[in-house]
Amino acid sequence: MAAEKTTQNKRVLEVKNLKLHYLTSQGAVKAVDDISFCLNKGETLGIVGESGCGKTTTAVALMMMPSPPGKIVGGQILIEGKDIVPLTETQIRKQIRWEKISMVFQGAMNCLTPVYTIGKQMMETLREHREMSKEEAIARIEKYLAYVGLSKEVLKRYPHELSGGMKQRIVIAMALFLEPKIVLCDEPTTALDVVVQAQIINLLKDLKQQLDLSFIFITHDLATEAEVSDRLMVMYGGKIAEIGTNEQLYGKQGPMHPYTQRLLKATPLLHEKVEELAFIPGRPPDLLKPPAGCKFHDRCNVVMDRCKVDEPDLQEVEPDHFVACWRCRES
Amino acid sequence: MKLKDLRGSISEFWNEFRKVKSGLVGLGIFVFFLLLLIFEPVLAPFSETNTRWRDISYWDDNPQSAYPIWVNFFSAKKYAKSSVLKDPQVSEEAFGTNRMMTYTFEYDYQYDIAPSDLILKIQGTGAAMMDLTFTRPDGETVYLTSSNLKMVEGGVSRISVDKGSKSEAYDFLGGFESRDNMRKFQRSSIKPAAILFAKAQENMLIDPEPLKGKYTIQAAILLQRPEDTISNVELVVPGRVFGLLGTDAFKRDLFSGVLAGIKWALLIGLLTAIVSVMVGVIYGVISAYLGGWKDSAMQRVFEVFNSIPLLPVLIVMSAVFKPSIWNLILIMCIFYWTGSVKTVRSMGLQIKEETFIEATRALGASNFRIIFKHIIPLIIPYSFASMALFIPGAIVYEASISLLGLGDATIVTWGQILRDAYTGGAVINGIWWWVIPPGLMIAIMGMSFAFIGFALDKILHPKLRTR
Amino acid sequence: MSENIFEVKNLQKWFPVRRSMTDVLKNRLSYVKAVDGVTFNIRRGEIFGLVGESGCGKTTTGKILMKLLEPTGGQMILDGQEVTHITAERLRKYRREVQMIFQDPYASMNPRFRIRDVLEEPLLIHKVGEDHQARLQMVAKALSEVRLQPPEEFMERFPHMLSGGQRQRAATARSLILNPKFIVADEPVSMIDLSTRAEILHMMKLVQRELQLTYLYITHDLSTARYFTDTIAVMYLGRIVEMGDPDDVIDHPRHPYTMALISAVCEPVSGKVNRIKDVPIKGEVPSAQNIPQGCRFHPRCVYAKDECRNEKEPELEIVEGRHLVACRRYKEI
Repeated sequence: MAAEKTTQNKRVLEVKNLKLHYLTSQGAVKAVDDISFCLNKGETLGIVGESGCGKTTTAVALMMMPSPPGKIVGGQILIEGKDIVPLTETQIRKQIRWEKISMVFQGAMNCLTPVYTIGKQMMETLREHREMSKEEAIARIEKYLAYVGLSKEVLKRYPHELSGGMKQRIVIAMALFLEPKIVLCDEPTTALDVVVQAQIINLLKDLKQQLDLSFIFITHDLATEAEVSDRLMVMYGGKIAEIGTNEQLYGKQGPMHPYTQRLLKATPLLHEKVEELAFIPGRPPDLLKPPAGCKFHDRCNVVMDRCKVDEPDLQEVEPDHFVACWRCRES
Repeated sequence: MKLKDLRGSISEFWNEFRKVKSGLVGLGIFVFFLLLLIFEPVLAPFSETNTRWRDISYWDDNPQSAYPIWVNFFSAKKYAKSSVLKDPQVSEEAFGTNRMMTYTFEYDYQYDIAPSDLILKIQGTGAAMMDLTFTRPDGETVYLTSSNLKMVEGGVSRISVDKGSKSEAYDFLGGFESRDNMRKFQRSSIKPAAILFAKAQENMLIDPEPLKGKYTIQAAILLQRPEDTISNVELVVPGRVFGLLGTDAFKRDLFSGVLAGIKWALLIGLLTAIVSVMVGVIYGVISAYLGGWKDSAMQRVFEVFNSIPLLPVLIVMSAVFKPSIWNLILIMCIFYWTGSVKTVRSMGLQIKEETFIEATRALGASNFRIIFKHIIPLIIPYSFASMALFIPGAIVYEASISLLGLGDATIVTWGQILRDAYTGGAVINGIWWWVIPPGLMIAIMGMSFAFIGFALDKILHPKLRTR
Repeated sequence: MSENIFEVKNLQKWFPVRRSMTDVLKNRLSYVKAVDGVTFNIRRGEIFGLVGESGCGKTTTGKILMKLLEPTGGQMILDGQEVTHITAERLRKYRREVQMIFQDPYASMNPRFRIRDVLEEPLLIHKVGEDHQARLQMVAKALSEVRLQPPEEFMERFPHMLSGGQRQRAATARSLILNPKFIVADEPVSMIDLSTRAEILHMMKLVQRELQLTYLYITHDLSTARYFTDTIAVMYLGRIVEMGDPDDVIDHPRHPYTMALISAVCEPVSGKVNRIKDVPIKGEVPSAQNIPQGCRFHPRCVYAKDECRNEKEPELEIVEGRHLVACRRYKEI
């Protein structure tokens, strides 16, 4: 199923050598440091990593809205083959952001204005971007509410009258109703209860099929990614450690990069009784003063001398499977 | 270790503070005031200002209502400066048991407007007779007063030309001035000093032209008994300009007065602000922490205090109690503490809900410990801002009370100086240098603290949350 | 010494709801029944897991056990002693015996305190240790118990200078320093990165074995509960619906709610991407102010029948051994 092969010409998003640095008074924090990946039409790409690994920053860069002192210092973001990095803010706002690529921000459901009804807020957002009559707008809003499984009843409600799951659905609907083809979801299920989590995941899968969308799904939880992502990108210290298909990473063979391997082992399995959970000692690197060589070397259990000096680049070890690790290259 | 923390947080704070320009200006002015305060003993021309401000004899040598000295820079006609001539030439002649002591002063007069007086000060013992001779650069000699001196040990005899030599000056005038002009003035209403330093010609009384040059003033003192002594003779020339800020109608040096007022303004401002803000912080935090009906009760009490207007109460209180500065500060504190309660209470309500307060409670900490060790230390930095903003108010209130004549009369405050200016007719007589400096000082000091307060507010309040 | 360190019988916590004017006039009282009749025993030296979704009353239960909230009804017995309502003096002793680890270790420490001060505080409150030096030694010992090595280095740091895992270790050290019998751990790892989560749980388990402690582990995460606990109790809307050995409860759930929870859990296994997951549950959690009649789960239960709606609420009954379930129809489903 995951083996639904995608070909080169179906790429909706391609990122080449993207760099986003936070230029602080103490130096540049390389939050996203020279990463390249692509997103195919109709697939979900998962981005995982610990907090501070650069996964949210990557999404923010794709939306072209880095928060100061963050700055895109290099690379290309190709949407439908067109680089959006050199565009002006006005062009981005008019043509790209929300129109071609939209985002469900982390905790966005808690950012709905408490004093307006849901209907008013959705209407305002929609008419900000599109010139349309009130009737057209209502029709469009109701259509997307139906997609996310809500009745038009909610339009008259205030945010505090809705449950977390309903608010998350509304935020998703708002990310969709300008009909973008790429949707970024930053931890859309983290603050929700398991049952609601499962429902939202089901909803996203459903939307992907119905609306022919491509998703980037960001979370720190490998278990959630296993449920949603066709392909998975593991980030560590602002770099890509490994990219592989769902089958490659969660299947029998398992991941290649020691970081992914150990992260997966630290993820508890519900239906397997284990005496002891594995964990990764140490802490993520300080991106202001990153260690030399492979950024993971000080926490790695199979570290070699070379890892401490040279930084490995991403190499394809098998079709669609890329790993940045010296050890993997040896064997 | 604690010291290191403190230093770290101070330098961090300074880095933030540096960015707020108005705060820096405020701080600069405050530091300037502090320096004036520290160097007051050095800077003040009259060292006993604080104790003898209302002692008229202390200021006797000064000119009355003299302009500030820098007025000369702006006016075409130069006013005579005040000076004291010491070290006269002394000569002694003996006539049997009598001794004749002659003290000769030379005064170089280079101004356009004559000094207000010439005062000879003599210290000594016993009795003596004195003749005063005034020799002008044009060769004219005026015999001024002759008087009998009765000197006591430690006392000072003062012979004022202005008071004692009107007659002689009038006679001198008679030689030059026209009869018509002479008739316009009475003997007792002329100013001898003005005549003595004017060119000897007609109209010298009405429109005197200055006679510049070297004047000689000779005091011949006849001592009759051998045990009588003269120890010190000085000639004081009270000019028409005096000191940095001039003098008032009571001959007091206003610069000394304004300088002496700094410490009281700072004391009133700081003490009132610190005490009332501390009380307000503690009250607000306790109210927030206890919650429920206790909170409501405390808030009602707060509202009662908050709604009483301060100025009328201060007036009544000052009238009833002895108007001492301490009473004034106390009364201001009693009504001022309410200012910070509302904000502090809201912050307290917020901090109270923090997990670490619950965690501390779970450890078994008493309410006292939670309030004083956990909540108040977090609020203190923010209360600095309100302290700084309270200071100008307190200073102005003290000035208002003093202006109404209900202040503490034993100290020199800017309000007191303004009060004296008001009663001394400064406005009617155009003695602007009596009113503007103290008023301006109140405004500048208020402004400096307001600037500091706004800057602190700007820095501290975005971080209203505890981290 | 009894086998159970903590016995909780029919514990209730009802919060009065602010009433509108008409409610007052009609003399209508309404409550949020956050905890509505909870009964369980915690055995000495075990880790008791309380699992449920947000708003199910698990944290409130923890706070009642911590004596941070007064129960509305029911009974609590600590080590054979009745502690439901106690005097201020007994409370001081209670505070030494029962400690808590909070969800957010950062929020649970005063940001202005160094780790040393944070850990010394319980000693000062309970006047333990003769002088500052003695207390500092105890602090160092507690820090080494939670494997913050070397303790001297960590003592001088502020909470914000530690990583999430280190902070939670320090928070654990604080709760251990008074040698408590019983520790309430409220979601101690939910704010911590996945890679270090296991490390903290591992440390907590080691400490528990070494010091023979008893934990009440409150969590929403079934996967860690299975690994960490000796008994799991699943709460729904203020009540325990299923309780027992973690293996029994998770591998053979009997309550429809537990089944739904388990089916909703994500697992890092391939081949689920294009499948819509079947979660056998309807609707949303009702408000605790308005608990349904009959079995409180019936409006969301896919197996509910008329009897579930109309008859009395089912009590916990024994399935087998220690496995209890509060469902009328558990045998049929």
